[in-house]
Amino acid sequence: MMITPFQIAYKNLLRKKVRSVLTLIGIMLSTWVLVSLFGFNRGYETALNRDIENMGYQLMVMAKGCPYEAATMMLQGGKGLRYMDQSMVDQITKEPEVDKVTPILMQAFFDPNKGESGGIAGFYGVDAHSYPAMKPFFRFKKGGWFKDNAADEVVMGYEAAELEQREVGDETIVPEKNVKLKVVGILERTGSQDDGTTFVPLKTLQKISQVDQITTIGIKVKKDADITGLENKLYQLKDVQVVSFSQVKQTIMKLISTARVMVFSIAVVALLIAMVGVINTVLMSVLERRQEIGILKTMGAMPGDVFRLVWTETLILCSLGGVAGILLAVLFSRFTDLLARSILPYAPKGGLVAIDLKLSLLTLVIIVVVGLLSGLYPAWKAGRIRPLESIRGE
Amino acid sequence: MRSICIKILLPLLLLFWSTSALAAVGCDLNNPDRDVPRLFPESTSFKTVYVSIQKMGGPALLKKIEGRLGAQNIALYAPVDVPYTLYEIYKDKKKVGYIHGVNQKGQFGGIQVFIAQDLSGKVKTFYLQKITGAAASKFREAKFARKFEGVTLKDFDHYDPVRGKGSGRIADVPNPSPDLETDYYGILRGLKKNLVLMDEFVFSAERGKP
Repeated sequence: MMITPFQIAYKNLLRKKVRSVLTLIGIMLSTWVLVSLFGFNRGYETALNRDIENMGYQLMVMAKGCPYEAATMMLQGGKGLRYMDQSMVDQITKEPEVDKVTPILMQAFFDPNKGESGGIAGFYGVDAHSYPAMKPFFRFKKGGWFKDNAADEVVMGYEAAELEQREVGDETIVPEKNVKLKVVGILERTGSQDDGTTFVPLKTLQKISQVDQITTIGIKVKKDADITGLENKLYQLKDVQVVSFSQVKQTIMKLISTARVMVFSIAVVALLIAMVGVINTVLMSVLERRQEIGILKTMGAMPGDVFRLVWTETLILCSLGGVAGILLAVLFSRFTDLLARSILPYAPKGGLVAIDLKLSLLTLVIIVVVGLLSGLYPAWKAGRIRPLESIRGE
Repeated sequence: MRSICIKILLPLLLLFWSTSALAAVGCDLNNPDRDVPRLFPESTSFKTVYVSIQKMGGPALLKKIEGRLGAQNIALYAPVDVPYTLYEIYKDKKKVGYIHGVNQKGQFGGIQVFIAQDLSGKVKTFYLQKITGAAASKFREAKFARKFEGVTLKDFDHYDPVRGKGSGRIADVPNPSPDLETDYYGILRGLKKNLVLMDEFVFSAERGKP
């Protein structure tokens, strides 16, 4: 039976098992880091896009003032929140770029019977008609939206209902105000912030909190409309500030870019170390087999044949190490996800590491190409061995 | 600075304010480092472990627990694989007890019933972490909590909190807010559920009775 160069190369690698395995481990680890990094790059952006898509709108308009201050106020029980007039909704609707508009009132009430020293219960006042239109992807586990904007009803996100142990038909109460509301709908899980939200009809929440204004306007822009142009127009409105989710996305991506560059640098260094390992292993193997190679040449092997033989060893090492690294990355993607979440300042919901076949193949190609480039020198060196000198030298 | 506020803080707040306000669903102590020494004063450290009916016995165990509680659905939104948080309490290196909480349906919202137990299963401290309603604070008074000190699962042998009928120590605990019957019975059901779960998760196994 004819022995193929592949079999010879494979057997050569088995002759120094420990060295070959260590080289494989090096390639495997660098592949793992590389695949995970590529997967994270794509997964994070997808997850962030999904979070932003789930908002239902691309722009938000709110009363002027530092939002950090607003956040603090909200966490202190909604006192001193900045409001704007509801007539602003009509003004914004007139803009040609605008597809849909929805007014929102956020309110927080202090509940003394939550935890040791009390806690905050947040309510989201939404318009019974325009808000559901912004969130057509909402599915109800049971029930549906409120009848009208002044109904004493609530719709609860899945986690909010879970925490409050509510079912459709149950009552809930607004702390501080002691107003009873009936649960008319419970949403299915969305994997977004809506899961923890309690929605109240806008007018009902305005009545409860004795506020006839709103805190936010959500704006859905028409397809292919000029969002930046609309933003500039909205900035002209009096005492409002505009938040664009494309800006938010850019800002968050910038925030994590440092981490990405660092990890990418580590991946490159790991890859370089692994490839130096490949050169070392194959070169050592070539030097140890000088006599063998010399004999092969005396038997008629051409420099090209020897080159191919040695290069095949590199190919086997890189392919096996690459595949093992990809498998490791897929198996431990959940772990990588958790690790990224613990490090990053902000992580969207859903999987942060998205590894698929295309990405795996791409990484494998990179590893094999870089590996083969590393194997060039040892293979060239092997091809240049002079038969008589090498045999005599032994 | 303002632009940073607008571009980063506000959107993040808006995206996540609801979840931060309603953080973890389940029944964990809000602040274990502060709550454990308060509920178990002689403790010096604690260990958090997670147990689930699924892992401890699956549907058969669920059926057994439901049978002991006399009611189906031991909690709304609690499938068989939901993890329960169990705090093992230590004094120096010696285990001295447990703290465990459950969710129970109340009149206007969820009730979170926590108990600290010694190694024999006797209640040392009773704590309602969360209860909703105008008069709910009466249930959180120390006077009411003290009524449950020393209670064991045996005390529920002669009292059924599902029907609200029976005699003995539990039946003698007065309702501090008579207009909130659902909450009162909810608390008693939550307490029994807590004791039964702890018996299945910990004490039965320690006694060698699977």
